[in-house]
Amino acid sequence: MSRAQADTADTGAGAAPLARLYGRFVWSRLAIIGVLVAALLVSVLFDVATGPSPLSVADIVTGLLDRSALPRGQAVILWDLRLPFAAMAVLVGAALGLAGAEMQTVLNNPLASPFTLGVSAAATLGASLVIVMDLSVPGIGATYLIPAGAFVFAVGSVMVIQMLARSFGATTDTVVLFGIAMLFAMNALLWLVQYVASTDALQQMVFWTMGSLGRSTWDKVAVVAAVLGVCLPLSMRKVWAMTALRGGEDQAKSFGIPVETLRLRVLLRVSILAAAAVAFVGTIGFIGLVGPHIARLALGEDHRFYLPGSALAGALLLSLASIASKNLIPGLILPVGIVTALVGIPLFMTLILTQGRKL
Amino acid sequence: MSAGLFLAGLSLNGVSVGYGGRPVLSGLDLPAVAPGSVVALLGANGAGKSTLLKAMAGLGGATGRPAGQIVLNGQDLVGMTLEQRVHAVGYLPQALPQGSSLVAYEAVLSAVRAVRPDTPRDHVEASIERVFDTLGLRPLALRRLRELSGGQRQMIGLAQVLVRNPRLLLLDEPTSALDLRWQLTVLETVRRIADAERSICVIAIHDINLALRFCDHVVVLGHGRVLASGPPTHALDPDVLRHAYGIEARVEQCSRGFRLVLADRALPDAGRAAPPFQ
Repeated sequence: MSRAQADTADTGAGAAPLARLYGRFVWSRLAIIGVLVAALLVSVLFDVATGPSPLSVADIVTGLLDRSALPRGQAVILWDLRLPFAAMAVLVGAALGLAGAEMQTVLNNPLASPFTLGVSAAATLGASLVIVMDLSVPGIGATYLIPAGAFVFAVGSVMVIQMLARSFGATTDTVVLFGIAMLFAMNALLWLVQYVASTDALQQMVFWTMGSLGRSTWDKVAVVAAVLGVCLPLSMRKVWAMTALRGGEDQAKSFGIPVETLRLRVLLRVSILAAAAVAFVGTIGFIGLVGPHIARLALGEDHRFYLPGSALAGALLLSLASIASKNLIPGLILPVGIVTALVGIPLFMTLILTQGRKL
Repeated sequence: MSAGLFLAGLSLNGVSVGYGGRPVLSGLDLPAVAPGSVVALLGANGAGKSTLLKAMAGLGGATGRPAGQIVLNGQDLVGMTLEQRVHAVGYLPQALPQGSSLVAYEAVLSAVRAVRPDTPRDHVEASIERVFDTLGLRPLALRRLRELSGGQRQMIGLAQVLVRNPRLLLLDEPTSALDLRWQLTVLETVRRIADAERSICVIAIHDINLALRFCDHVVVLGHGRVLASGPPTHALDPDVLRHAYGIEARVEQCSRGFRLVLADRALPDAGRAAPPFQ
């Protein structure tokens, strides 16, 4: 503790009021968030510009301001293909980043994410079952029935994990283990479904599970935006409880925070976010894991900055992956799920190796 | 406590706490302790010190709601909701704040905001300023918790409790991770706060001599009940220590007038048999 005195000089925390020093600290974080937003805008612009038929920045700006100012073909490419794809990348990336961040906090585990704990796999299974069984419900088109299957299974998987955790009085580590077991169980069931599926259904499923922005339409973009629009404000309402939880579960409980209830609500929210992402884009790994890590390194864990930061980092990552998916093999747009993992792994390893101590 | 009778201070009347029907503490009584008092909870590992503190804080969890009355300034804490109780009571858990990426200032800020989200910003800032100064933690304010030593994190945990200025402070081994200098700093601070704010502080502590030096009242727990209770000058004798800790010890007086416990040797298990007295 004598270090405390020795450090007085170099931290500069001398006579100035702490509130002012902390205020400067907050501004530096807001600046980082500003940089992330700017990087995201640039990335989206590139994402919209890139593709088999390139658009110039001038074309994009002109087309955005007045659709009729562009030739009909370019207007269709801009408004019906590139923009919904780019918007979907941003929204799904943000949803996965936010879901991962919240999950890591309530489970107190930096490896938690919808992908590693089976929520995404459950959503995939739910969607696959709808495809294989060729289900139809009057009044609901197949476009929304597949997402509905994903929602039901994702929420169901979280409920099962919670039920197990409650009945055994499990610690957060046990919940994580249940989640990993859930991942294996869901994957096994998914393989079983694939094994018995018809060739057509199998092809559709495999393509679907790879994770692709190619199916994005404005309707789907609106649904993911609505889910994110509901979940993000709910998350932001609990920022102080979540921040206190990062100081320790016993500490949070001592402040009167109902930690178990908070955990259940957050996990349900995570399942809805993950299901929305999986339902419309397919399985995309690593965003939910790496997004929060980047935010944590850059912004710390005050959830006022960490949650929006994770969403922004997730959005930026998927937007960059979308650009990469169009450029890695000329003339071919790869499924973004493949690219995300390929881009995500080296990035993740670099982070662990260079910043491991900070993670 | 009869209706309408207001008694400042803290008292326990027939408090029982247990895990799943197995009593850990039964029928505990503590005569009223006046505001401004520091009470030491002594006893061997597993004697129920932490259990009692958690029950008083309303954080029983597995123990559920305690039986009996825990009366603070005329109000029974047992009947209060957790929310009401958190406003009156500050509890420092035994576990240290974890080494996360929060900076110390945020850890303390979240302790205020999570409990009282509507407190005016100026007031919050002033409270945090005061507590960092009181505990000598200013240099650590912008350091991430994971960069701090265990002792430093324990001090941040204490700051999280003190910043809300509660009427009753429940500290579960607040000095366990601290070196001698900081042990003294913590206890001197707690003593000063109790004197200045007229708050009551109950500390579970293993260092008997520190307890005798800083506390007004000593409660020794063992075998599910209070083995001894009273001022530091009278509460402890070799018999109580033998029953509470299973040790052979002497109680002597130092040159400054404080009692000192000198532990000589550990007794075989039989030495800790339940005492014949209450």
